[in-house]
Order: sequence, then structure tokens, then C-alpha cells
Amino acid sequence: MIEAEFIASLIAASMRAGTPLLFATLGEIIAERSGVLNLGLEGVMVTGAMTGFYVSLITGNPWLGILAGGIAGLLLALIHAFFTVSLKVDQAVTGLMLVLLGLGLTGFLGRDLVGKVATYLQPLNVPFLSTVPYLSEILKHDPLVYVGIFLVPLLWFLMNKTRYGMELFAVGENPEAADTMGIHVDKIRFLAVLIGGFLAGIGGAHLSLAYAKVWTDGLTAGRGWICLALVIFSGWMPQRAIFGAYLFGGLDVLSFKLQAIGFGVSYHFMRMIPYVFTILVLLFSVIKEKEKFGAPSALGKPYIREQKF
Amino acid sequence: MQIKIERRLETPKIIYVIIPIASIVASLLFVGILLLAIGVNPFEAYGVMLTRAFGTKFGLTELFVKAAPIILTGLAVSIPLRAGLWNIGAEGQLYMGAFAASWVALYFSPPSAVLPLMVIFGLLAGMAWASVPGILKAKFDLNEIISTLLLNYVAIYWVEYLVYGPMRGKEVYNFPYSDLFPDYAILPRFLGTRFHVGVIASFIIALVIYILLKKTSYGFAIKVVGSNPKAAEFAGTSREKMIISAMLIGGAIAGFAGMMEVSGLHLRLRAAVSPGYGYTGIPVALLARGNPVFVIAAAFLFGLLYVGGSAMQTTFGIPVAIVDVFQALVVLFIIGGDFFTRYRISIGGDRND
Repeated sequence: MIEAEFIASLIAASMRAGTPLLFATLGEIIAERSGVLNLGLEGVMVTGAMTGFYVSLITGNPWLGILAGGIAGLLLALIHAFFTVSLKVDQAVTGLMLVLLGLGLTGFLGRDLVGKVATYLQPLNVPFLSTVPYLSEILKHDPLVYVGIFLVPLLWFLMNKTRYGMELFAVGENPEAADTMGIHVDKIRFLAVLIGGFLAGIGGAHLSLAYAKVWTDGLTAGRGWICLALVIFSGWMPQRAIFGAYLFGGLDVLSFKLQAIGFGVSYHFMRMIPYVFTILVLLFSVIKEKEKFGAPSALGKPYIREQKF
Repeated sequence: MQIKIERRLETPKIIYVIIPIASIVASLLFVGILLLAIGVNPFEAYGVMLTRAFGTKFGLTELFVKAAPIILTGLAVSIPLRAGLWNIGAEGQLYMGAFAASWVALYFSPPSAVLPLMVIFGLLAGMAWASVPGILKAKFDLNEIISTLLLNYVAIYWVEYLVYGPMRGKEVYNFPYSDLFPDYAILPRFLGTRFHVGVIASFIIALVIYILLKKTSYGFAIKVVGSNPKAAEFAGTSREKMIISAMLIGGAIAGFAGMMEVSGLHLRLRAAVSPGYGYTGIPVALLARGNPVFVIAAAFLFGLLYVGGSAMQTTFGIPVAIVDVFQALVVLFIIGGDFFTRYRISIGGDRND
């Protein structure tokens, strides 16, 4: 029965490893739906990870850490929102600099946190389910994993069935028309970027406080970039993002798991695989689904109201 | 009250000088505050940085040695950028160049052919690595920022895999190093310092690229594709060809940088070939606005940061990550300031469209 146990633990670990990706991907979907591309996800996540770790370390409360991680992500996103929405600066440049800023700041300020042990999120014991074999293994997670799952239908509902969602779509598809209809384009974009940063920050904090349970320099190791690919893979739809996030969570843990059962491929070699796989998945989504799910039409374009020539 | 943003009809020339200088000063102030926050006197720290770079022969040659790969990665970003492409993958292209050159250095013969072959393999490996995102962009419109960046991780882990596995040296104990290169695979050095011939090559490459971009029809075509794709199409320029070729040139230059780092400095392949020169190429390209001569100037600014950064690390224990913070701040201030070259803000008046 080793195989069933192995698969159960693999699924469970994929969900845990996928949760940081899920939060950040959902956040980025919101931002991109409004028309703002935040390439700085890697920097936002890593800042959330370090801040969360630090706050949990000094307060002993991992939930305060998670909240702090979200707020740190939000603050970094605030820079992005200010530059791209208010100042109409190139979104790619600002996003890239956010990556450098996040990695630099956390490397600088987090140097004393390396090797420390913070208070981590504990798995939730679901009554009854905890006694079912295999299922108990698959469903034994810290609460944020469930929050992530719950966020998916919530965001789907908000984006597809409410006025907020309609306005978000309108701003991302055709800001001129939205503006004419009296929708505050800049306000919605600003908020969308902030929410995106908050969620990515929480994702980062989940990484340091629940999944990796450690702080090291550059802890996110490219996850922010994988999330940007996941947004495209998901066709900007929350309900598809969760599959992508868990799939990549699974890839992340597979190398450890395979090593544990004595699979003879170098750990360093296995580390390349998620990135290669991301490019392949990205290519597949771009070729296959070009017609079906388009990117928001105004994605990456600053909206400047006064265009007098 | 309403805040209105208006396009400037004319931009005073002086603004283009003031903004970069003001941005550098503002970033120094900002980083100074960060240094204070961890209990380091910023004046002392900057003092150490400057005396290290300019106070000794070692420091001054080290400045050239650090600026050289940044010139190359700055060019590797600049050329595709002129065609409207973001090559965030210079770091990975550099690592692949380093890998290919090391492979030649350790296993190829005869000795007299090794150095030229290292250069060729370095160029080709960087090119090959850049060709993937270039082709995917040209054929499938796959976002080149994400693909180049993801390939960086693949390249870095590939080199890591090699130096922990198949290429690990016999006499390196547990370090992730290959064996030292044989003498004939090492770039000549001068003045008894680490100043190697690759530094001079970097300057020459920058000049060649300057001529290519400014004086040839190819350079003009790249610029048109980048700035006005419609006009380029109208003129019969193949966008696909320009995108792919711009990436290939950029990748080749970054690959050469990798060859130069292993053959001129490390003298072996190791896990950490570059401290992030590929990423530094981005602010360099932005500061230089696509002009290879300005790339040299910007590369020296960031080279100074790397030299100063390592001096600050050894003297005060300040993590070198501070260099990243500085780079990000400079660019943010500059692009923030750019806004004021294009627009002016007027406050007041009623809302009327």
C-alpha cells in the first residue's frame, strides 16, 4: 500500500505547495483584469515571505505574520499602482524594478533572519474527516489552504456576477468606454493592483510560514514568474487558476518525494523541471487557446484621459 | 478642484540632465536611510565604497573588471529593447555561455584552438538560449519577458547541476566547482591584477554595436520595428526576422560575457558565475536609452556599485543585496521623473471634458 500512501501524500503536498502560487495567481488575475500587468510578482511575494516570517518571529503569532505579509505586498503594489496608474509609467519597467527592489530589500533586511525558527501555521484538524484513511492525509492542511480554495468561487462570483466584476472587466477591456460610462478607471485599476499585491504578499507569507517553514535569501525562487505564466494558462479565470497552481505545487514537491523513495535523478537536475514545464505549458496555452480566452484588451496599456493633439 | 495631466508640447533640454543626476542622489539618500536603519553610518559606507574603487590600483582595475560584463549585459538588453523586446534573460544566456566555454576549456584540444573555440561556443550558447524566446515571440507571440526569465532559472540550475555532478572537479573538496582551466584556456591578464583582455574586448564590442545600430540599415530597421511596427511592415521589413535576430545578437553578447567571466576571472566553472549582471543589464539599458556609448557609462556606475558593494560587505557586513535596491531605486526615480518630461500637472478648474 506504499503507492496509495505515496500518492496521498503527494496530493496533500501539492496543495500545500500550490497555495502560495494560488494566492499570487488570483491576485494577479484581478490586477491584469483591470488592465495592469504587475511583472513584479516575484518581488512582491518575496517581500511578503520575509515580512511574514519576521512578524511571526517577533510576535509568535503566525496569523499576524500572514497579515503583515499581505500588507507588505500591498505596499510594494502601491509603488506599482502609483507609477503605472497615477504616473502612467511603462508597466513592464516598473514591474521589473519591483522584482529587484523586493529581492534587494529582503536580502538586505532579512540577513539576520536566515536560520531562525519562527512560529508556523499549524494544520487544521477537521472533525470526523481526520479519522478517514488517506482522505485525512490529503485534507490535513493549515487553514490558509482552505482560504485559498474558498477564494476561488468567491472571486469567480465577484468577477462574473457583480457590478464590481463588470466594472473591472470594462476597465481592462475598454477603458475609454468605461470612462464615458462614468466608471473611475484609475480608481479601479489602483484598487485592483493593491488587492493583487495583498494576495501575492499573503502567498509569500504562506510560503515562509506554512510550506517552506524557513527564511532564506530569495526564498520564492522564481515562483512569482511561474504565477505570471499561470495567469495566462488560466485564461484570466480564477476557477482554472487553482488547477494550475496545484499542478505546479505538485511539480515542486515531486523532486523531493522522488528522492525520498530513492529515484536516481539528481536533485539539481530536477530543479530545472518546473521552469521548463512552465514554458511548455505557456506555449501550449498560447497556441491552443488564442481564440477562446483572450487577455484583457487594454492589458499593459496606460490609460490617459486627456489625449489632445 | 481637479488635477489635470497635460502633454508637454516642448520639454526643456536641461530636464534630461537633471533627472538622472537627481535620481542617483535621491537613491543614495534612500539607501543611506536603510544603512542607518541597520546601524551603519552611510557616510562611512559610501566613503569605503569610493576609496575602494578609486583609492588603489587594485580597486580601479577591479572597477573595469566588474564594469565589463555589465557593458555586455547592458548591450544584450539594449539591442532587443530597440526592437521593442525585453530580454530579461541575459543572466541565463551568460550562464549558458559560461557553461559552453567551460566545456571547451576542460575537454577540448589542441591547446592552441581552445581559446578561440571557447569564444565561439560561448557566443553560440548564448545565442541558442536567446533563440528560444525569440522564436516563440516571433511565431506565437509568447511573452518574451516571462520566457526569458524562466530560462534564466533553467540555465542557472543547469550549471549548478553540472558543478555538483558531471563537471565537478577532482580536487575541489565539497565546493560546487569544476577543475581549474588549463593555462591555455585562460584570458591573458595585465598589470599583475585581474584586468584581463576581455575587458578591452567589451569596449570593442560596444563600439561595434554602436556602429551596427547607428550606421547600418540593419540598425535602422530594428529601430523602426521597435518604434513603429506598422511602418516597418509597410516598408517590407520582416518583424519576425528582426525580433529573432535582435534576440540572437543580444544572446551572443551575453554568452560572450559568460565565457569572459569563467576564462578571465573564475578560471573554472562554478555555481555562482555572475552576481546578477544579467539583471543589472536592464537598468543599464534603460539609463543608456539604447545608446551603446551610454551603456559603457552606465555600466561603470553599476560596476562601481558592485566594487563598493563588496567593500561594504567586507567592512560592515552589509549584504550585497543593497546593490539591487539601489538599482531599482535609480530606475524608479528616473522613470518617475520621466513623467515630468512628457506631461505637466495643472491643479484647479472644474471638471469639464
